[in-house]
Amino acid sequence: MPDNSAGNNAMKNTVMKNFIGSRAMPDLVYHSPKEMSDLLALVDTHGTSARVVAGCTDFIPSIRTGRWCFDRELNLIDISKMPALNQIEKTDDELKIGAGVSLTRILESPEVKIHCPVLAQAVEQMASLQVRNTATMGGNICMASPAADTVPPLLVSDAWVIIRDDEGEHKVLLTDFFTGPGRSVLTQGQVLTHICIPMKKSNEAAWFQKIGTRTAVIISVVSAAVRVAISSGVCDTARIALGSVAPTPVRVAAAEQFLEGKLLDDQVIAECARMAAHAISPISDLRSSKEYRKDVAQTLVKRSILACREALK
Amino acid sequence: MKMPLTFMLNNQQTTIEVDARQRLLEVLRNQGGMTSVHRSCEEGECGACTVLLNEEPVNACLVLAASVQRATVMTSEGLVKNGKPHPLMKAFTDELGIQCGFCTPGMLMNAYALINRAGDNLLTDQIIRKTLEGNLCRCTGYVNIIKSVHTAQKAKLAGEWW
Repeated sequence: MPDNSAGNNAMKNTVMKNFIGSRAMPDLVYHSPKEMSDLLALVDTHGTSARVVAGCTDFIPSIRTGRWCFDRELNLIDISKMPALNQIEKTDDELKIGAGVSLTRILESPEVKIHCPVLAQAVEQMASLQVRNTATMGGNICMASPAADTVPPLLVSDAWVIIRDDEGEHKVLLTDFFTGPGRSVLTQGQVLTHICIPMKKSNEAAWFQKIGTRTAVIISVVSAAVRVAISSGVCDTARIALGSVAPTPVRVAAAEQFLEGKLLDDQVIAECARMAAHAISPISDLRSSKEYRKDVAQTLVKRSILACREALK
Repeated sequence: MKMPLTFMLNNQQTTIEVDARQRLLEVLRNQGGMTSVHRSCEEGECGACTVLLNEEPVNACLVLAASVQRATVMTSEGLVKNGKPHPLMKAFTDELGIQCGFCTPGMLMNAYALINRAGDNLLTDQIIRKTLEGNLCRCTGYVNIIKSVHTAQKAKLAGEWW
């Protein structure tokens, strides 16, 4: 935004002109492409004035509360009506979920329930039925909130996303996707089209838990996901991810490595949880203090590993 | 951008001109005359604006009007048939599931979809609570609302339903 007063006046005028309801909305042009080629053409044509949306459950509050400001016309490209991005596909060893699939469809999908139950577990605790019926996992990822509840389960599942641009498809590991709060590696002209998740194996268990200021329809104070694989009694793969404790959802490598190659007894689990809490440096905000977040992270990691161990018995 | 919008509103094909900035909430209230769609938190927390979009409950405040092109929308006005209140509405009044009434249209739409989805399976308190978690009642009359949903489902299983 320009900092001279003339610029501010221009800004004010635009906002006044666009007053709808109680708060400002920029002029919108709505596009609903059906084919991938139409989508890429729209993204390319409109450049910086384009925004790709799906459920709009985050987009609408963001512009209405002024968190996002646009001083000119915005081209909204709604991908939720694209058949190609509205499917949950299963191949030999992965689940491929379109970016336009609603959270409710993920929750109700038998494939997700069997091959990535930890994701269903997280989705069930997200928002309300009304929001889940519209919101998408693609949107949850692209908004890049540190508190995105679908992300820790995806991180522990070693998921990756498929990004499309005019050069073709790019595969990006979810661990490399986020660069900060609300920021990701997505650049102008790129669209996240699919989320791919390797299927759960029989010697694996995964668990998700979150704590909020109440149980229903709430943003996480801390969320945790854990996946462990066990062969001949010892843990051979461990994944631990935490949400709302850093600028992005994070994996805690030190605690993961500590767990690998060890027998999952109570002492090891407690030490691993302590290491996970030690590795993070959360902030204090409206929802919670940093001390509480560290405490809760430790407890959630411990409970999640215990739940995995129980599931593998 | 102004655009024509055609959709089914309570079983009637409706065409109105909308601005792409408008949300379903504004279009239903201001152009559609469906004032049971209550405007409240406007960020998807309270559920007072719940309507059925293609038979699934959604918050009308979080849906762009432009995106309901050719879709089916139902508000609680659509429950009334020939001036007769729906058995679900009757259950809410009989069981005192209404106090001030502000949350009621949203509760009705969410409960209507729930009862229809449930088919012959009897709903439990737990399922009703989980489903209605996105509908806030500040009179905190939840106990009677849950009773109302049970009673309404009984009415449906007894064949009084539309």
